[in-house]
Amino acid sequence: MAVNPPIDDIIALEAPSARSRWAEAVGDFCRRRSLGAIGAVVILLMLAVALLAEVIAPYDPLAVDFGAMLSPPSAKHWVGTDTFGRDVLSRLIYGSRTALLVGFGASILGATLGAILGVGSAYFGGRVDLYLQRVMDIFLSFPLIILALALVAILGNSIPNLIMAITVPMIPRSALVIRSSALSVREMPYVDAARAAGFGHARIILRHMLPNVMAPYLIILTAFLGQAILLEASLSFLGLGVQEPIAAWGLMLRGAAVEFAETAPWMAVFPGLAISLAVFAFNLLGDSLRDALDPRLKTQ
Amino acid sequence: MGSYLLKRFLLMFPTLFGVAVVIFLLIRVIPGDVVELRMAGDRGAVSQQALDQERARFGLDQPVWKQFATWLWGVVRLDFGTSMWTGAPIGEEIKLRFALSFQVAVMATIVAVLLAIPLGVIAALKQDTWVDYAVRIFSIAGLATPSFWLGIVFILLLLIVFKWLPPMVYTPFWVNPWQNMLQLVWPALAVGYRYSAVATRMTRSAMLEVLQEDYIRTARAKGLVQKLVLSRHALKNAILPVMTVVGIEFAFLMGGLVVTEQVFNLNGLGLLFVQAVAHRDYTLIQALVLIVAGFFIVVNFAMDAMYAWLDPRIRYR
Repeated sequence: MAVNPPIDDIIALEAPSARSRWAEAVGDFCRRRSLGAIGAVVILLMLAVALLAEVIAPYDPLAVDFGAMLSPPSAKHWVGTDTFGRDVLSRLIYGSRTALLVGFGASILGATLGAILGVGSAYFGGRVDLYLQRVMDIFLSFPLIILALALVAILGNSIPNLIMAITVPMIPRSALVIRSSALSVREMPYVDAARAAGFGHARIILRHMLPNVMAPYLIILTAFLGQAILLEASLSFLGLGVQEPIAAWGLMLRGAAVEFAETAPWMAVFPGLAISLAVFAFNLLGDSLRDALDPRLKTQ
Repeated sequence: MGSYLLKRFLLMFPTLFGVAVVIFLLIRVIPGDVVELRMAGDRGAVSQQALDQERARFGLDQPVWKQFATWLWGVVRLDFGTSMWTGAPIGEEIKLRFALSFQVAVMATIVAVLLAIPLGVIAALKQDTWVDYAVRIFSIAGLATPSFWLGIVFILLLLIVFKWLPPMVYTPFWVNPWQNMLQLVWPALAVGYRYSAVATRMTRSAMLEVLQEDYIRTARAKGLVQKLVLSRHALKNAILPVMTVVGIEFAFLMGGLVVTEQVFNLNGLGLLFVQAVAHRDYTLIQALVLIVAGFFIVVNFAMDAMYAWLDPRIRYR
């Protein structure tokens, strides 16, 4: 009993070193990949805005004010109001919630389900792998937005359904990438050891293989985040995604095209800037993360 | 090369068949059925008789395998059935709009190639200078900017700066080429910019790789001027992966058009698809998704074939 130090002591001993290793890695990333760090800062700011929307937003995003319809940017409404007199800035702020909710929801689900399929496919190999690959091939022949739209047509367009519709086309794309990394993980001695120890398939896949494909998983996750936000904006713009009166960037651009181009250009400019900035930040971070985590992929 | 291509060609058919199965099942796994879903969306209560009548009209009272066989046999003969919304034959609806979407797609491809190749080459030559960074930011921004918003911005700028709007009514090219171009060049630019981003990055990385090859050093050593080294030796070898990317993106272009056609009020396949989804016109959705996916599979095969034909290293695998 006395020989083994209490478990808390072990954690206490290891924790600082682990933390400093993290801090070092983050510091290193910021110094060597400044573009990626800029992306990360923008994302953190966006997350803060989304979380603190109630505090930051000057108005209720749903408050209709017919006395102030289509008023241009002013001290009262920094980026103007829309056709219902709703404050555009407040709607932009609340819109970041929708974008991040759908973005994170769909990309985490899509990347994770794809990773499980990819690792499983690589682990079992043989016939299972072959059939799964064929099925993935089939799903990969649908453009993202086409499959998402077809799913929306079937599922209907509530926010959970929207997340589902964006998740499904991402699964095969994630499975493809993760599978190729998992193929080399499968040959590692610790997987053999786990098998020899008599662990079940599920345990080996979840506990031994999945943690070792973390790098490609993170890369694909950040890449998906940008795409999912873009996809949600596109679907909402088409009127087939998020529905009024919920604040969503794509939806704010709907009907802002030609009719309001002359009278209220702020309605068309700012939501688009918000979408571009968000996706740009995720792409910057994703690219730098890819370069940092996986030198083999460092080309494009 | 023959056996490789033959194998690749034959592999296309199970995938196409799988795509047809997926699309067919997708629409039949929903609780209730297509007719019920549509009718419920349209009006409130519907009589059982009306439901049965509609079901019979679309052959939904038949067993599933029979429905599938009928549909597939129709597809093979390029007969996609009739639209559930307009009642018009789907083939006709598509034929009406194909030319417009195809023209925009080709124009967007030209825009993308014209942007991507010079930018990619310059970025590779000036690697890690501000020029390289500028090109990279330009291309990442292209991936981040929704093409429909870019379209809106074009309209805004044209209106504010030139007090002019592109024509909103479609004129076919053979009727008035100038009018036609004035309308379609904007969506082509909006879609083409986004489309160029991937190709630019591909050109840059392919050029970087090729520029390190021995034959480039040889060409330089024998005193060849830079322009010829680049055009005859470097670009010729770097262009292959770029063409593949351009080809695959072309096959996926339908996705970009879906949103952009809405902005410019273009009555093309993209708009047709959006309308089909909005009206829950399942037969039309089914046909369009199948066509888009089929097109992708065929283009993919064509790209592989071209690759094998142009690159002797792959030819004899």
